[in-house]
Amino acid sequence: MSYVLRTLRKKREVDTIIRDTIDKVLVLRFGRSSDPVCLHLDDALCKSAREVSKFANVVLVDIDSDEIQVYASYFDITFIPSTVFFFNAHHMKMDSGTADHTKWVGAFHKKQDFIDVVEAIYRGAMKGKLIVSCPLPSERIPKYQLLYRDV
Amino acid sequence: MATLADSFLADLDELSDNEADVIEEEDVDAGNMEEDVDGEMADIENLNYDDLDSVSKLQKTQRYVDIMQKVEDALQKGSDISNLGMVLEDDPEYQLIVDCNALSVDIENEIIIIHNFIRDKYRLKFPELESLVHHPIDYARVVKKIGNEMDLTLVDLEGLLPSAIIMVVSVTASTTSGKPLPEEILDKTIDACDRALTLDAAKKKVLDFVESRMGYIAPNLSTIVGSAVAAKLMGTAGGLAALAKMPACNVQLLGAKKKNLAGFSTATSQFRVGYIEQTEIFQSTPPSLRMRACRLLASKSTLAARVDSTRGDPSGNNGRALREEIRKKIEKWQEPPPAKQPKPLPVPDSEPKKKRGGRRLRKMKERYAITDMRKLANRMQFGVPEESSLGDGLGEGYGMLGQAGSGKLRVSVGQSKLAAKVAKKFKEKQYGSSGASSGLTSSLAFTPVQGIELSNPQAHAHQLGSGTQSTYFSETGTFSKIKRT
Repeated sequence: MSYVLRTLRKKREVDTIIRDTIDKVLVLRFGRSSDPVCLHLDDALCKSAREVSKFANVVLVDIDSDEIQVYASYFDITFIPSTVFFFNAHHMKMDSGTADHTKWVGAFHKKQDFIDVVEAIYRGAMKGKLIVSCPLPSERIPKYQLLYRDV
Repeated sequence: MATLADSFLADLDELSDNEADVIEEEDVDAGNMEEDVDGEMADIENLNYDDLDSVSKLQKTQRYVDIMQKVEDALQKGSDISNLGMVLEDDPEYQLIVDCNALSVDIENEIIIIHNFIRDKYRLKFPELESLVHHPIDYARVVKKIGNEMDLTLVDLEGLLPSAIIMVVSVTASTTSGKPLPEEILDKTIDACDRALTLDAAKKKVLDFVESRMGYIAPNLSTIVGSAVAAKLMGTAGGLAALAKMPACNVQLLGAKKKNLAGFSTATSQFRVGYIEQTEIFQSTPPSLRMRACRLLASKSTLAARVDSTRGDPSGNNGRALREEIRKKIEKWQEPPPAKQPKPLPVPDSEPKKKRGGRRLRKMKERYAITDMRKLANRMQFGVPEESSLGDGLGEGYGMLGQAGSGKLRVSVGQSKLAAKVAKKFKEKQYGSSGASSGLTSSLAFTPVQGIELSNPQAHAHQLGSGTQSTYFSETGTFSKIKRT
């Protein structure tokens, strides 16, 4: 899937792309291309990347690279894949009924789900919000257990 | 008077004298004719058409003979392209070619005249044939073959006509109203047919000669359409200059066949293409693109003809460039359309929703508008506690609904502003009855405050309506002030 979407491996690339995406939602997928769930997510991303292209930008980040570990620890990425949303260099949070609002964990059931999520983020961002609520019903949201360290 | 009458009589005598002279002349002419004179020939009309020579004089002219001779010589000499250096107009061969073109046009006209002649003669025998076989040369051949035969099954028309037309001809011949021709007329007709056929052969020779010289006369034109078609176009147009002056749409139709026979379906008839149809470019394009190719060919060949008529490019490069252009265009038409790519979704909220308006929408909205009843219930009188559904201020309040002095006991369905009919009816009701619409309602009503209350028909119906409704222009209002003077 990485031949359709860009894969970033350097910290500088990630920086530039966050800075340079203006007035569009930036979708950063942190994961590795060998993981099956990641592949599932990547498939949905590839197919909808063109349709969303007018208001979103989709980019893959390889979590196995050394420079990216900084970001992995900053965003607290433990589950693969995780997707982080940005708008005009602001980190957008989404309340999907799970414990962690800062990122989206797991794959999407359908292409349309991803498009809905991106649209919700875009609308909220255009209104000036930094956190939006998820438009998907709870069956479509992948559930996971958040393990707290040393607690 | 007498002199006048005499002069009239003299005039009459003169007339009769003239008639006598004319008849004499006729007889003299008839006597001079090669063929025998019959009773039918005395008609003045046939005078002109009796003698074939008086009709078709071309073959006797010196010009014709000269040119034919030269053409024969040139054809035998073979192609000779050694005169490229000379200016075109001085070249005797070019002059010959120009003459050939004019001659071919003349031959065509001549053939048409002879065709008319044959047709008039053969009408007595087989009148329907002229409407079945249009082409003059085919007609001449058929007439020659049939001769005086009444039974067409003995005549073999194979090779002269398409089989469908042979069939129609045979069928028509069996029911024809014609009679066999007398011997002399038959001879004349066959003679005319022979002449037409020789003229046709001569024309072919002339065209062959022009075609062989085509590469020299009009190199650009012959590069595009081929020398045979170029020669035919030039021949039909009447020279290179005439061809150059024609608009391209006319060039497209040069040599187009005329209408089909009645009774045959026109569903399979070819579109309007002339000699251009015979070019190899046209033949090699797929049928769906043929119309466009034909138009393109006609326009480019007109351009080439114009270049040639002014001798602008003797080497023929222009023609080759045009041919290449045509080929490229036809190829471009044939390539498949670009693959359709899915359209990306539009940005959310970037296109404002189109709000509709108008009478229809307003009527629709009226169904959900706030009714008069609800309006009354929403308002309260100052200083007067409202009634409520459960009493004592509990439950839903009734506001001004059913209050004494409001002038309304039953809040009727407010008429919509747009229902003109309802408004009219409402007005009638106001001035007519005392407000009761059906016979079952009574003017008495019970209110909790005062018991029985009579409705006052004079009370304004539009007391509540809209705050901005002016009573000045009201249709149902009364006088506001009456001054007693």
